[in-house]
Amino acid sequence: MDLTGTMLHAAAARPRVLVVSMPGGAAVRLAAERQLRLRDWPPATTPAQADLLLVAGPLCPYLNPALERLWQNLPAPRARAHVRTADEVLAALDAVRARLASTAAQRDQETPAETDSRPRHDRRHEQSAEQDGTGGHTSQEKAARDGEHGEESVPDRGNGRYIGSGSDHSSRKRHHGSHGREEKKGDGGDAHEDHQGHGGHGGIEMPGGLPMAGQGEDRDGLTLDRLHVPLGPLLSDWPAGLTLRLVLQGDVVQAADLDEEPLFASRPVESFWVQPWLRSAAGEAVGSGEAVRRRAAARLDSLGRLLMVAGWPAEAMKAHRLRDDLLDGAPAAALASRLERLARRVGRSRTLFWLTRGLGVVTARDARAAGVSGPAARADGDVAARYRRWLTDIRHDVARLDDSSALDPAEESPRGRWDARQPPSAALVALLPHLLDGTELAAARLIVASLDPDMDELAAHSSEGAARG
Amino acid sequence: MVEAGAWWTLLAAPALLLGLAVLAVTTDAALTARDAGRPVTVSAAMRPLLAVPRALVAQPRRMPAPDRVLWRAGVVSVPVAAVLSTLVIPFGNVAVADLSVGLVWFNAMEVLTWAGLWLAGWGPNAAFSLVGGYRFLAQGLAYELPLMFALISTATGAQSLRVGDIAAAQDGLWYAVWMPVAFVVYLAGVLAFSFLGPFAYPVGQDIAGGVLSETSGVDRLMLQAGRWLWLAAGAAMAVPLFLGGGAGPVLPAWAWSLIKTLLVLAVLVAAVRRLPVIRADRYVEFAWVVLIPLTIVQTLVPALVGLNR
Amino acid sequence: MGTTAAVLLWALGVLALVGGVLVFTLNSMARVTFALLGSLVCVGGVVTVLGLPYLGVVILLMMVMEMVIMAVFMIAYMMNPAGLMPMSMLHNKRGALAVSGVVFAVLTTAVFVVPWPDRPRVRPVDTTVQVGMSLMGDQMLTMVTLGFVLLATMVGATVLATHRGRYDRFGDDLDQRPAHDPAGGGVGR
Repeated sequence: MDLTGTMLHAAAARPRVLVVSMPGGAAVRLAAERQLRLRDWPPATTPAQADLLLVAGPLCPYLNPALERLWQNLPAPRARAHVRTADEVLAALDAVRARLASTAAQRDQETPAETDSRPRHDRRHEQSAEQDGTGGHTSQEKAARDGEHGEESVPDRGNGRYIGSGSDHSSRKRHHGSHGREEKKGDGGDAHEDHQGHGGHGGIEMPGGLPMAGQGEDRDGLTLDRLHVPLGPLLSDWPAGLTLRLVLQGDVVQAADLDEEPLFASRPVESFWVQPWLRSAAGEAVGSGEAVRRRAAARLDSLGRLLMVAGWPAEAMKAHRLRDDLLDGAPAAALASRLERLARRVGRSRTLFWLTRGLGVVTARDARAAGVSGPAARADGDVAARYRRWLTDIRHDVARLDDSSALDPAEESPRGRWDARQPPSAALVALLPHLLDGTELAAARLIVASLDPDMDELAAHSSEGAARG
Repeated sequence: MVEAGAWWTLLAAPALLLGLAVLAVTTDAALTARDAGRPVTVSAAMRPLLAVPRALVAQPRRMPAPDRVLWRAGVVSVPVAAVLSTLVIPFGNVAVADLSVGLVWFNAMEVLTWAGLWLAGWGPNAAFSLVGGYRFLAQGLAYELPLMFALISTATGAQSLRVGDIAAAQDGLWYAVWMPVAFVVYLAGVLAFSFLGPFAYPVGQDIAGGVLSETSGVDRLMLQAGRWLWLAAGAAMAVPLFLGGGAGPVLPAWAWSLIKTLLVLAVLVAAVRRLPVIRADRYVEFAWVVLIPLTIVQTLVPALVGLNR
Repeated sequence: MGTTAAVLLWALGVLALVGGVLVFTLNSMARVTFALLGSLVCVGGVVTVLGLPYLGVVILLMMVMEMVIMAVFMIAYMMNPAGLMPMSMLHNKRGALAVSGVVFAVLTTAVFVVPWPDRPRVRPVDTTVQVGMSLMGDQMLTMVTLGFVLLATMVGATVLATHRGRYDRFGDDLDQRPAHDPAGGGVGR
């Protein structure tokens, strides 16, 4: 009896799937998440935990190297699939599972390269912003190491095609943001605040050939190592495409830097969540009910993501299921009671409130000044105020699902008043660096999730800009 | 009275613990299936067990410059400590070894997870994994002292560290009834040392699985199994400590032990799903300012009762 | 003492020594800490075999917690970042050698000089009570005082080490509410 074959087959009955959403891949991601839930294929959060890599959405050349590294980090047995449109999801999942279960397919596949797929994160060593070359790596090698944390990945230099908001400033910023530390050295005069003389370690052997960490004053008056950890662009439960470069000491965020890399530049991206508004702006007749349905689903999507980050997977699943039913066209009556239960359990949870109160306060005035509209501005407060706002809004929206009047352009889009030149998510993203300063990693993730910018909106905008320019 | 079991109890106790852990996992899976809108069937509930063949065929994770020795040691010590803790837990009237310091033994095994999880986080040489390891320590500093005081309350009540004596001392009135604070704190402690549900902070979704983020194959299976084994062990230990052990009318002692253990396990599984992850930055202050004083006062109650007896 | 106990005693003793040697030969902070832990756990085992199970298990319990916390602090405060660089645990070799030599000599002499009782008459079933009585019975005041001194030292050290005093948090008149803390904490405020 072929024991390995049997085991492979059994293991493939419930594969863990790492879904990587590309810019513009929201629709595919939603279809995939729905299928995974119905089939009980649990989602994975890192490549180490995954059997399948599912790339959702149109390919983005800029992210290819990052994807490649993700793939290399998947332990065998493994299989990957790329799904471009939502209709292909079913077939792709079946095909990829068959490959995972097949002994032959697994044998043929080159085993994940252990020797060459250098490092995933050695952040502990790679902390210093200055990397004074002690490790003696070629920059290629470092770039490879640099991206590595599974889902957060940083592209190699050659592939970045920087189009879009390419002012001088942002291109420099991009530089030190995206390919890390070695670049900064190369940039010459780009002296950084934590640039310290580290020349003296030449003689010591570095573990794994990795350079030493730099140190700096921290929030609590200690001098601790600085750890440079990028969050995004492919992190799970994270706005796809957003990249934040964190400087951590312990798990306290000392600085958060927005990576203004236009990921999307090569092609226009249409944001799934603002489709009704885009179509309406293009002169098409769009019903209010449809737009409201999309908006409620978008906020349920955000809520589910926040609940995942808050570590409440049971309720997150309910939110996602409601979202999928909404997008499926379920009538309001069929959803109302379940929505009510969710709103009660989450909205009135004292524990969740206790955990999120006081985090990431955005007052109405700050919001106005930053150009934020929508629930984040109306919430006028912390993370807790924002998720409660979402819940209230969702309930109002679900009551209006049958509204057949034409969409009023002034009707709020999921993240705020829709303006193609100044998409609401752009203002949300701009808020982030300041909000995250001095927070702890867990709080930082909650704050990002509670604002949940839709990067596809920015993509649509920047590609327009590129077309104009 | 609890007696030491024959040699075969040495094998039966881990098997029973594994059975309880599997039951907890499948119950959780059934509830998840219900929430997800899938049919709730026996096969749906058993699906998490497919993780076992999956772990056996999967490649172990290789990292650059890991500390492989410490990593393995950490990963292995979590389930091993859970199994060792069952040595002193009586089932009905039989325990594998009814040590005179059984309560301290259980506590010491539970504390081994501190080292285990920190090492499992440290070993892979990866940022999120390390953050996860440190998170468990932060959580440990918060949950451990209240838990110890809760355990001490029961020992003070029975004036013995022997688990069998503690169960016997509750003749007529369970400690859960007149030491409710200790009971609740103990149950929270069980969730904390099995890092499940509200105490899944070290394996948080926000740090991509934390301690679990870089594990695959057998390593992952060991850690995951360790969590549920600890949950089962904690539930089983709650019975002699707070619920009168195997005492009960009509049914034999082992049946009462089993029924009570299953009830506690059900409560714990429900709690796992009912609450979001409690972050240590909020919990530590709550534990030190509220829980420790409360549990100290709780310990004072049986002490005063004992003095007056 | 039976054969099993004797074998265990020797095995644990040797393992404890091996752990002790490893502490000074390994070159990673984390491994050193856990070698020390291994050594101390063996000592706990020795104490248990000698008939003091309570002290033995408590040594195991306390040492695991202490060593894990110590690992955190050693790694955090080592001059070489993160305690990750290969490093030597040997410092001031000559002085250390002298000190340890003297201590070893004194302890060995003590083994032979101390008038050990010939044979314990009847071993009590449960030594925990005896340990408690001999520690607390006559010395209750000492232990209570010691406990408070230790606690005060810990709290004092934390207060001195922390950057934020009450005036930073509550303002000059101590009336600033909520307190100015970077992280909120879990109770009120």
